[in-house]
Amino acid sequence: MKAKTKNILIDALTGIIRSYAQVFFSKSYFFAGILLLVSFFDIYAGIAGVLSVIISNAFAVLLGFDKNKVKEGAYGFNSLMVGLGIGIYYQPGFEFYLVVFFISILTLFFTIGLEGVLGKYGLPYLSVPFLFGIWMVIIASKGYSALAISERGIYNLNDMYAIGGLTMVRLYEWFNNLNMPESLRIYFKSLSAIFFQYHMFAGILIAIGLLYYSRLAFLFSIIGFYAAFYFYNLIGADISELTYSYIGFNYILTSIAIGGFFIVPSRQSLLWVIILTPLVAITLSSTAYLFSFFGLSVFSLPFNIIVILFVYVLKFRLRNIDKPALVMVQQYSPEQHAYSYNNYSKRFGKLPVIAMKLPFWGDWKVTQAHDGEHTHKEDWQHAWDFEIADEDGKVYDGSGNNLNDYYCFNKPVNAPADGVVELIEDGIEDNAIGDMNLEKNWGNSVVIKHADELYSQISHLKKDSIKIKFGQEVKEGEIIGSCGNSGRSPVPHIHFQFQSNPSIGSKTIDYPISSYVVKKDKSFSLKTTANPKIDQSISNLATNDLLKKAYHFVPGETVKFEVEESGNKQTQSWKVESDIYNNTYFECEITGSIAWFKQLDNTFYFTHYQGKKNTLLFYFFLSSFKVIHAFYPNMIIKDSYPLSIYPNKSKLFLQDFCIPFFKFLKAEYEMVYESFNNNETKQITLKSAARFGNKKNNSGLDFNILIGEKGVSEFSITSESKAIKAVRIF
Amino acid sequence: MEKQQYERPLIKRLESKIPNKFGAKPNLIPITHIDEVAVKDLISEHGSPLFVISEKKIRSNIRKARKAFETRYPKVQFAWSYKTNYLDAVCRTFHQEGSWAEVVSDFEYDKALHNGVNGSKIIYNGPDKTPESIKKAIQNNSLIHIDHLDEYYTIQETADALGIKAKVAVRINMDTGVYPMWDRFGFNYENGQAWTVLNKIMRSDVMTLVGLHTHIGTFMLSAIAYGVAASKLADLAIGIRTKYDHQIEYIDMGGGFASVNRLKGSYLPGVDTNPTIDDFAEAITTALINADFKPDELPLLILETGRALIDDAASLLGTVISNKRLSDGRRSTILDIGVNLLFTSFWYEHPITPAQPFTQYTEDTVVYGPLCMNIDVLREHITLPLLNKDDHVVIQYVGAYNMTQWMQFITLRPRIVMIDEKRNVNIIREREHLDRILEFEKVPDHLKKFDL
Repeated sequence: MKAKTKNILIDALTGIIRSYAQVFFSKSYFFAGILLLVSFFDIYAGIAGVLSVIISNAFAVLLGFDKNKVKEGAYGFNSLMVGLGIGIYYQPGFEFYLVVFFISILTLFFTIGLEGVLGKYGLPYLSVPFLFGIWMVIIASKGYSALAISERGIYNLNDMYAIGGLTMVRLYEWFNNLNMPESLRIYFKSLSAIFFQYHMFAGILIAIGLLYYSRLAFLFSIIGFYAAFYFYNLIGADISELTYSYIGFNYILTSIAIGGFFIVPSRQSLLWVIILTPLVAITLSSTAYLFSFFGLSVFSLPFNIIVILFVYVLKFRLRNIDKPALVMVQQYSPEQHAYSYNNYSKRFGKLPVIAMKLPFWGDWKVTQAHDGEHTHKEDWQHAWDFEIADEDGKVYDGSGNNLNDYYCFNKPVNAPADGVVELIEDGIEDNAIGDMNLEKNWGNSVVIKHADELYSQISHLKKDSIKIKFGQEVKEGEIIGSCGNSGRSPVPHIHFQFQSNPSIGSKTIDYPISSYVVKKDKSFSLKTTANPKIDQSISNLATNDLLKKAYHFVPGETVKFEVEESGNKQTQSWKVESDIYNNTYFECEITGSIAWFKQLDNTFYFTHYQGKKNTLLFYFFLSSFKVIHAFYPNMIIKDSYPLSIYPNKSKLFLQDFCIPFFKFLKAEYEMVYESFNNNETKQITLKSAARFGNKKNNSGLDFNILIGEKGVSEFSITSESKAIKAVRIF
Repeated sequence: MEKQQYERPLIKRLESKIPNKFGAKPNLIPITHIDEVAVKDLISEHGSPLFVISEKKIRSNIRKARKAFETRYPKVQFAWSYKTNYLDAVCRTFHQEGSWAEVVSDFEYDKALHNGVNGSKIIYNGPDKTPESIKKAIQNNSLIHIDHLDEYYTIQETADALGIKAKVAVRINMDTGVYPMWDRFGFNYENGQAWTVLNKIMRSDVMTLVGLHTHIGTFMLSAIAYGVAASKLADLAIGIRTKYDHQIEYIDMGGGFASVNRLKGSYLPGVDTNPTIDDFAEAITTALINADFKPDELPLLILETGRALIDDAASLLGTVISNKRLSDGRRSTILDIGVNLLFTSFWYEHPITPAQPFTQYTEDTVVYGPLCMNIDVLREHITLPLLNKDDHVVIQYVGAYNMTQWMQFITLRPRIVMIDEKRNVNIIREREHLDRILEFEKVPDHLKKFDL
């Protein structure tokens, strides 16, 4: 019972503190702590703020809203702002707290209502509920005689004295008298204005918190502010608009939101921040004029209008232009957005939706590739011809005068992916060697529809060998016919192409093969999402059941290891889970660290990691970042980690600032398919390494993974400073 | 100008009948080189007789065979049949090309281990598996193919005692429409024996059924029979899947593919009549693909092809000892190669070709070996050009069984060389000496001395 109360209390506190950071799109407790402190620079406003959050969060929970969202502060931060705002404006008293109580509930309702309306379009509600809340109070209170306007804001020093005595007053004065350009002064004050404070001390504190939370958010706050500052100068607008009530925070918030929070930080996002600044300025001036008739301040209205509009605009782009890219998974950190997006788009960006395989079994040779010398030109440039060759490169045995001499003749041809048979042409005689049928140049052909505007065509099949029917569903790898010599085909081969139209011989499209192996001499190299090249000897990946089984994790299962590090033994276990978005992840049962993974086309991928960096789970994430379910001796897989896992914090701090522009840090992954242990069929060793830094100066970890019949059975980590061994407990 | 060769005079009866289709002049071309190494040099250096194996041919045979299957079926594995030729150099060539090992005795099992094959890649076949070797096979995780029920019980007891699960497959025999039907090995499909043992295995705690095996015959001249056999095994595999929800890992179609050799009594040379590896591949893979396996549950296809991969990779070089005219007027030639070295001459008509140039005159000849035994006949009838004493001959297609079934009868066994891909001649087995034979012999004391 006691534990339960404790848990509720922790949850409640989390919800309150996080509401503060939410104002700046953050989840950082440290930043939230600073903001909390700043809010108490006006004690009564601070109290009103906390009260508002508590009331709002309590009602959200009581009404049955998502507790996780409450914990994140999503339902509290608008009420917090309303509370702070009216706390500054009005004198405290019973009537005042009554208003706080009810306006908090109303703001919560606004929040939920707007979440519903805007959420439908995938848009954020930002601080619109706050605007509604505070405007209503201000207008309504004109009739509430019991509410008295506060005059405390004028006597700031009194408040400071009340908080920290003379020291606090001195500190406050010292900060206020800091020698710096006027523009910077306005910047800090604008920053403090977000929390209804108008002085340097609060501004500098917030700036430190912002820098701690996110380098990019800090950078964008400055960029946004100065963009506005210079725009005002340039256009000759009234600079006092920025200084008066420091409404300039609209530019700061817009810049953070567009620069890195809703949009992946990049050169493009920066450009848009600069383009949007005048728009905010225009909105600000016009709405301020309009609202002055009602005696209202516009507060953050310009920021809200521009950000929501711009996100909407980006969402409904018809053409899929990748930059500026909207943030798909909100990680509450501009840096994380940049690292994840860069890494994800590099790893999966070009991965086609439908994985195409080679339409045959065994090793075949590419005898004409894209832009081939014979017929793969112009509209038909993206096509391949395949034949079978022996080790001497010859495609036939014997004299080569008979169809049967050719290795590929009459060999099965398979469907490259699942689909529906769209068109079949059969009954064309196979040519004698050297002859060509130019009238029916495609010969016996099959067209399979895999998706809208994605068809595959296979031609020159053997007469009467086609085994499928029109309209039939075919599975990947299903035999559709045999290689023949019909159509414009002097020697037996198959012609393979992708096209966006169903008719035979349509214009080809450049669509890659998802994965295949190139055999050269005795070594194998893996190709993913690539186009086979001329003269390559290629085959589909042969799935290894052992690897496939070892890297198949089912939500609900628990993976347990006995970990031995410098003599200490400990058991660590992870639970395999899945969320409502069908993401799968491991969760460390001790630390709560999370490693997301996914499984695509015979490959196991880790996508990202969140949590402590000294857990076995983190090492497993590093060691098995990408694993192909096929075993070819000495095959090498390379990939890059998202930089967010970079171990050297100070280097990463610098990288954070530059990530929209360039990347100087490296975090590379490499796995070598060592060998079956002593030819053992039921045991495989994989070796992988994580390398951080540049080529000359790098640090890293080496991993050794042993796979047995039951799965990953052992795994060890070595680096200069540590050696860890983990044995699976099945 | 090269010195003209002496050729003995020949008087030949003039055939006045109409030429029949088998009577055309044999288009003989001398085999002067093997893999570009002169036969003359080989014999002068290594003696006569001499077995010569071509590494290049072995590799090309196995690659061609793999290609034939792998382009027709997604999961294929070859296993080298040790009994066909267990010379280390030969086995290792196959292992280098990715073949596992298929053994049928304790001795062969040890030889495979000695060659460095991991236990889990050894298929243990045959009716005579000693309890000790079964124990070893279980411990090494080998694939044990059960031949009879007594063996099943031995495995059961041994595995139980060891506390290790044995990986077993069952050898199935069946009617595939060919004669003779091999029903002495394994369990019969048609009369239900197969299911009897399968049920036992599936209920056993100490055995895992990993595969089904058949070996329908030897030197099979019909590919269709393999199609029938594959369908029947597939049927069993699907039955096991349905009945026990157990998916077997592989289907082993055994061996028995015909090589290019010509069986005694056949009209045409083997090259023209025997099915090719592609014909066998087509029959087997078509049957398996057409069976009701789910596409992602196709079993691994194992092949234990021996003869078809090695027969034409080896030749036997010999020398003419003498020529003789028999009482009925036929010519006979005595070679230094006896049936003790060429066991397969009992059932094949091995091509015998001179290793030096000759003229167009030929004569029907009986070829005898050097043994002082009446059965020592290599060819009853062969049209040969006129050979002289000390001329060399090349006997082709001798790679299978001869180097495992040969014996030191009257003569000792000769050297074996292998010509590698760079044309180096490597000795892979030394010629035998009297010392080695005497090593095994023991003379009781009372027999040690005698006076004549």
